[in-house]
Amino acid sequence: MKRKICAGLYVNLVTIIATVVGFIYYMINCNTAYFANLGVNPVVAGCIIAAVILQIVLIVIGMKNQPMWADILPVATSVLLMLGTINFVSARVNGIAAIITFENNAENMADLNSAIIGITACLIATVISIVASFFDVTKEAA
Amino acid sequence: MKATKNNRSTMRRWRGVTTLTASILALAVAAGPIVNSFRTDIDKFLGTSSTKLVHDGDEDISEVYTYTSDYESTTELVKAIEDLGERMNEEGSVLLKNNGALPLTSDETQKVSLLGFSSYYPVMGGDMGSSLTPNVGTDADTVDFVQALSAKGFKINSNLQDLYKALEPQFTTEIDNWGNKSIFIRITAPAIGNTFSSKEPSQAVMDEADAGWKDNLKEDNVIIVTLARAAGENRTYLPGTDGVDASQNLNQTDPLGLSDDERDLVAAAIESKNANGGKVIVLLNNASAMEIDELKNNDGIDAMLQIGLPGGYGFYGVADILSGEANPSGHLTDTYAVVNKNAPSAQNFGDFPYTNADPAYSINSVQVEAENIYIGYKYYETRYMDCVLGEGNASAAVGSTNGTEWSYDNEVSYSFGYGLSYTTFEQKLDSLDVDLENKTVTAKVTVTNTGDVAGKDVVQLYVSTPYTSYDKEHGIEKAGVQLLDYGKTGVLEAGASETVTIEADMQYMASWDSSSDNAAGTKGCYILDAGTYYFSLGNGAHEAANNVLSAQGKSESDGMTEAGNAAMTATWSLESLDNESFALTKNGTAVENQLEDMDLNYWMPGTVTYMSRSDWAGTFPKTYENLTATDEMLAVLDNDNYEISADNGDASAVTFGADNGLTLAHLKGVDDIDNPDYAKLLDQITLEECLIRTGFGGTSTKAIDSIHSPEAVQNDGPNGIYSYPLGQYANTDASTGDPCAIDANDKNAGYTAGVMGNETVIAQTFNKDLAKEFGQIMGNYSLWANLPIYWGCGTNLHRSPYNARNHEYYSEDAVLTAYQGASFVAGGLEYGLLIAPKHLAFNDTEINRTGISVFMTEQQARENELRGTQAVIEDAGALAVMTAYNRIGVYTDNSHTGLLINILRGEWGFKGLMSEDFIMDANYVCLKEAVLNGVTMSCNTGDNTMAAITEKYGYWTVENVGKDARLLTALKQAMTYQAYALANSNAMDGYTPTSHLITVNTWYDNLILGLQIAFALLTLLGIVMYARSAKKESK
Repeated sequence: MKRKICAGLYVNLVTIIATVVGFIYYMINCNTAYFANLGVNPVVAGCIIAAVILQIVLIVIGMKNQPMWADILPVATSVLLMLGTINFVSARVNGIAAIITFENNAENMADLNSAIIGITACLIATVISIVASFFDVTKEAA
Repeated sequence: MKATKNNRSTMRRWRGVTTLTASILALAVAAGPIVNSFRTDIDKFLGTSSTKLVHDGDEDISEVYTYTSDYESTTELVKAIEDLGERMNEEGSVLLKNNGALPLTSDETQKVSLLGFSSYYPVMGGDMGSSLTPNVGTDADTVDFVQALSAKGFKINSNLQDLYKALEPQFTTEIDNWGNKSIFIRITAPAIGNTFSSKEPSQAVMDEADAGWKDNLKEDNVIIVTLARAAGENRTYLPGTDGVDASQNLNQTDPLGLSDDERDLVAAAIESKNANGGKVIVLLNNASAMEIDELKNNDGIDAMLQIGLPGGYGFYGVADILSGEANPSGHLTDTYAVVNKNAPSAQNFGDFPYTNADPAYSINSVQVEAENIYIGYKYYETRYMDCVLGEGNASAAVGSTNGTEWSYDNEVSYSFGYGLSYTTFEQKLDSLDVDLENKTVTAKVTVTNTGDVAGKDVVQLYVSTPYTSYDKEHGIEKAGVQLLDYGKTGVLEAGASETVTIEADMQYMASWDSSSDNAAGTKGCYILDAGTYYFSLGNGAHEAANNVLSAQGKSESDGMTEAGNAAMTATWSLESLDNESFALTKNGTAVENQLEDMDLNYWMPGTVTYMSRSDWAGTFPKTYENLTATDEMLAVLDNDNYEISADNGDASAVTFGADNGLTLAHLKGVDDIDNPDYAKLLDQITLEECLIRTGFGGTSTKAIDSIHSPEAVQNDGPNGIYSYPLGQYANTDASTGDPCAIDANDKNAGYTAGVMGNETVIAQTFNKDLAKEFGQIMGNYSLWANLPIYWGCGTNLHRSPYNARNHEYYSEDAVLTAYQGASFVAGGLEYGLLIAPKHLAFNDTEINRTGISVFMTEQQARENELRGTQAVIEDAGALAVMTAYNRIGVYTDNSHTGLLINILRGEWGFKGLMSEDFIMDANYVCLKEAVLNGVTMSCNTGDNTMAAITEKYGYWTVENVGKDARLLTALKQAMTYQAYALANSNAMDGYTPTSHLITVNTWYDNLILGLQIAFALLTLLGIVMYARSAKKESK
């Protein structure tokens, strides 16, 4: 049976893009001079990667006749993104506070840049993923 | 089909709802530990409290408030702060020049014209650090210059005020720190990497705003021109034109020099005075010494007053000086050079990266302090004396302003210690006794007011120690004159006299000789050279130098700038070199070399030539840049300098978690750290507590359950306790018996005490009593505000005026720094306030401060910067210290055993708590090395769990640390220091042996819990509703 693409596909694709952007900037930030010594937080990285995988799985499955169990995927995706984002923020709060006060210089501000972009992207991804959960990826063609 | 479609739609809806509620549930659940991590800061921000003091016994609680305030109410308290702030600037403003124009007559106070935007928008505190905390609606509201003048009855030309008001947008600097915008409507100091931009409106701009503005000066012809330079933590000036915004084209050769717009303004004021009569008075509103020789030499300027950064009430004092209500008695804390960039220290002030810098380990740049001991007047006066004495090629051109022969008059505008009064004083050195056995120099000086009005006078006692062939041979440097001690008279009426007795500590005239034998059987000792010692009085270092030269038979014909007065001197002779009298410190510790590795030549032999007065021309500092750290240096620079090991002793011998039935309250006021009860108490502490509390010590020293140690909130300074308003942590429950409990609606609950003049103002008073009074009043404030720890005593020296953070430090001179600081700290301790000197040590620049390698000789380190802190520990008994961001050579400050263990805790006998500065990078925190070196806490914050601490510092686990006896012992020692400090502070007020803190839920804890429950239920509901829809779909 032919299936018609729904808004959910596009919203999920946007979520994936935002999530990937967030992840890339997280990794960039983890390799900046200022934040390098914090290392890669496995909770942040794990949650974001898992969320991307689940979204991809959701789209792949959704392109066919989506089984009912797959409805857990958007829920899990949003929860994972929320956890990843909040842990990302938590891991950077001290650094942000230090940079905007005691350690404010051009190099540190540049390092902070990737953290801000990454956090913003993850936050956007989280919100969009919640919105996406109200939509299916495809539906049966009439 | 339609039913199925509807069902699917319903399923989607419930899936979406479930996603939304589950996400918020995840947020609420994750928020719990995060909130715990930042609980202190959240409580600070929201004004909440997460703990509550509970008493189980039946003690009379009112008896357990050890420290009592001198004030009955917050009104009395803040009024007293206001009064002190006013007096601080009365005594801390320095009259640099006066042709009789000051004080103003009462008529003249009614026709004042204020010129310069800084008259209306003055610098009252730092851009960051020691920033003014404006208070409005309290019993002691802060005032700027205009408000203070008005309050004191001056009448100010309002047209000019309107003119500057109209130009206000031009004075605005907006600093955007990722949305955290700081707006300054005044001049600001350059951020790191930036240059100084003048904001003084040009004459054209003023003419455009009001073509007839100069007409206002005809009638209101008492013209006060304010010129300002700002200050700030994490800010810096750079020497010469490199530090100036070149695009402005204002003929400004240095950020601390004048711009053409400023020159034109002064010229306009003088032109008006010449045409209309009146006076021109210049106020200097600055902390770092400005280049003002052109103002000094401009006869059109009738008077010049340096006012520092006056804080919230200092302008009252400035107004009193202008009107003659107060007589100025301040003296400069720094040399005002003609050209700052010609100073030896300026040759190595800036950003000089390692060629192999590595940000991963905070390896960034170097600062080679090749000027040796010769900073400030120790350079200018010594070189001057050598010029007169014909020694050491002192007259060579190197370092001179005009490129020809070096001449004092061409290099210095005003010397260290200089200051005028409205009256005249005569000082007579009645006697001077040197008591080597008791290590004191006692001078009796009769001061007579020979003028017409009452005033105070400062007695400055300098010493000139012999510079011998032994010194030249062993690389020991001597300042031509150095301040040994000082005192201040009370108010002397005209014709009245007072005898000031100064009992100086003789150890401060000893010199560090790295090659000397010592009592420890090694090398390095303080010595007194054989020869003649000259002691001299003087209104500043230059007058003292001239007096010494005069006593040595020199005169103006030998090149002296003016004749000296040998009668103001006394001599003392030592027959042979003495390396025994100061071989032991006051606590009996044998001194020895501790900072050899701070000399770059230790790592890279032959690299640095440190300046020597034996050859000024040949050793004048060059700039040390493009240095490459050697492999040996890199091995230290990676910050990992201690290997945790089971081979460091018997770990099982270190006791944790014992049940000895003690609480910290049992040791309240016990000032002997060797009292066995401290050891018993600390045997109760658990290893986990030690690990967490050393790793997470920021913003407050947290409660420790096992020993019932309370949370002690930390505050920043030094211009007053400004981190929190008075009411933030104040006790609002009078039933507790707390004599300093306040009403919840207290008018002054929002008052914040970052209001005092900056540290240079306090030092310029040359009044130890005033410094002590500031400590006492902050002690009182801490009792009302429940804020027992105060990082409030900046004791770094003004190595260079380019350090924009000089406003948080007293002076270029170590002795003035030490005694003002010691008085301040001692005053606070009387009320149980732990005032910490900071930053130990060598935080001489804000450029690359996290990681910068500071190199110098041990003599320089000990006789300048360290001497500035020594008395604060030895004499005042400080119980708290903050360390520094920078490195000591290649070691992080917190890893340097020579400095922190052997000098601070060993030689000086420091027993208190010690925090790192705001270092967030776990690698640079060097926690294990820091604990081994007596640091009691890092400045990080985090959840009170091992998981949180281990996440931050991977090696900081019970298993890992628990096997290392040396580290375990150091951990317990660190916690002992902390407990000892708190036991002797007002943090224990209200505590009895039966009292303890319990955790209470704040409203935000309840909110989070409520959200967790609510969204768990909603998620459950979503799932159920989804399942119901799905069931229908299945059917």
